[in-house]
Amino acid sequence: MYAIEIENLSKSFDGLVVLRGLDLRAPEGQVYGILGPNGVGKSTLIHLLLGFLKPTTGMLRVLGERDLESIRGRVGYLPERLRYHLRYTGREYLRYLGRFNDMREPDLSARVNAELHTVGLIDAADRLLSTYSKGMLQRLGVAQALLNDPELLLIDEPTSGLDPAGQRAMLDLLAEVRRRGHTIFLATHLLDEAEQLCDTIGILFDGKLAREVDMRALRAPGSDVTISVASLTPELVLRLQRLAPAAVRCHGHEISLRPNTPALQARVLRTLLDADVSIVALQPRSNPLEELYLGVVRGVSGEPSSEPPGVETVGDASAAPSDPSGAVQPARPSTGDTLLRELLGRENERWRKPDGDDR
Amino acid sequence: MNTLRRMLSFVIFTLTEYARSGRILIELLASVVFFYLFLWRWTAQPDYFFSTVGLFALGLTFSTISAMQSLGDRPLGYLILVRRIGRGMYLLGLYLAALLIVLALYLLISLGTVLLHRITDLDARTWLLGTIPLLLNVALLGALLTLLAPMVLVAGWRLAILALVAIAFSGNLLGGLVMQRLGPLATALEVLRTIFSTPLLPAFTGFALSVSQDYSGIGFAIPLAQLSLTLSLLALAVYAFTRRELIFSGS
Repeated sequence: MYAIEIENLSKSFDGLVVLRGLDLRAPEGQVYGILGPNGVGKSTLIHLLLGFLKPTTGMLRVLGERDLESIRGRVGYLPERLRYHLRYTGREYLRYLGRFNDMREPDLSARVNAELHTVGLIDAADRLLSTYSKGMLQRLGVAQALLNDPELLLIDEPTSGLDPAGQRAMLDLLAEVRRRGHTIFLATHLLDEAEQLCDTIGILFDGKLAREVDMRALRAPGSDVTISVASLTPELVLRLQRLAPAAVRCHGHEISLRPNTPALQARVLRTLLDADVSIVALQPRSNPLEELYLGVVRGVSGEPSSEPPGVETVGDASAAPSDPSGAVQPARPSTGDTLLRELLGRENERWRKPDGDDR
Repeated sequence: MNTLRRMLSFVIFTLTEYARSGRILIELLASVVFFYLFLWRWTAQPDYFFSTVGLFALGLTFSTISAMQSLGDRPLGYLILVRRIGRGMYLLGLYLAALLIVLALYLLISLGTVLLHRITDLDARTWLLGTIPLLLNVALLGALLTLLAPMVLVAGWRLAILALVAIAFSGNLLGGLVMQRLGPLATALEVLRTIFSTPLLPAFTGFALSVSQDYSGIGFAIPLAQLSLTLSLLALAVYAFTRRELIFSGS
């Protein structure tokens, strides 16, 4: 079951195309992050999901409903900018917002107090919002979004404009919210934020979903490794690449295994030791999400075989501008595990072959 | 029932915001100045009271509705509209909050007038008969301004409606000499003017009724016409607001 289903969604403003043929599915109970540079259309997408904007073409379904008016009150929204009615105290403001959602006393007061506790604002509850810091206002934003225990939370750039301490506090708070089991759709341009909070990340670029990443697979220990060696001769490079041409890359004194498997890693290490090569370091790939993201936004279209496990190539972002139809492949459910299994199987099969190339 | 309760909560919320912004003091001050200039210094007849207060109330409505709409037309509104209140109740809540302010100030002016005996022959019956069309005109102007708000209608439609209103009022702007020079166009303009000024008749006749308090003949139909036109304009505004894309100013 999906909390959000988007099919072939396009949105343009006075001829300026923001989203073109977007396909996306965010499963219930997960944190789906939409990652992309500023101005790529993340906030527009959230406003479309809230029904404030209307699609130019395509279909949107939120919590199983196409009529977005009917889901009012079932969705929580944390906006990007700190824009609140500053002439109320925190408690007054939350109470009013609760009343707009048909909450009644005594539940309303209990709920307001509970959320003020959750976000750490109970001591400042009776102060005017105009006296709150940016971090406090954003925490109040989380409280108002959670107030009616929504089935879906739409969060837009939650740490935007906050200082590092405020960002840390906000991320901790959102991690706490995540543990409650809400379905969350998070728009951000910050990799750390997405990496820490999300189960699945879709990279939005040029109006389309360029990549979809299963973060569990991406976070798997040792999924990709880099081996640093003292020296690497051309003959040895050839021998290593013959082990698994799709997965082994040599560059300078480094050998990258992407995707790595225990079997492949063992064979590479054996080959290096047999060749009497001194191994300096073996370390996991530093930041696969960053590499992937930069690859997308800089227009480097990664070959599927070189992607880390869990990465789904949804559309070719680099080819998008030259594609007049704007058509993309429909977004499919993430097949990161499938891809990993497939690569593992292929690798094991090769390893079992008695007369394989690698022998 | 829940819908009305939500709207009532929103009206109280908006009035609180408006009062705390200090903007209400401007209206209050304007009312005091008006009272001093037009009602304090001499005694007069009820027709004088209703004509001056009627015009002042329209000016106050224009100012208050505009201020209230700018309160509503801010990105802060998104947080309210994700809730069950809905767009229609949001717009009507802003409208009602503005009307309540004008009504309160009108009652204050009336009370001051009565207490200081500045209007002769102003009994409760006369006051009520003059007040009904006066307040309906306030509601009518408020509804028209709500329809013409930037968050309700896109610029093209606003201009079109304003053009129609301008044509309806063109009789007061274009004199006989200009009309003579227009030749055959003058006839066409007369026809258009008649057509487009017809919907404004309830407003004009309502003002006259407020001053004369003469409900004989078709007089009783005038408040009904005012009410019908007000409700029609509000329905149109709600329809337009719920259909359009919502991009608040400054978002």
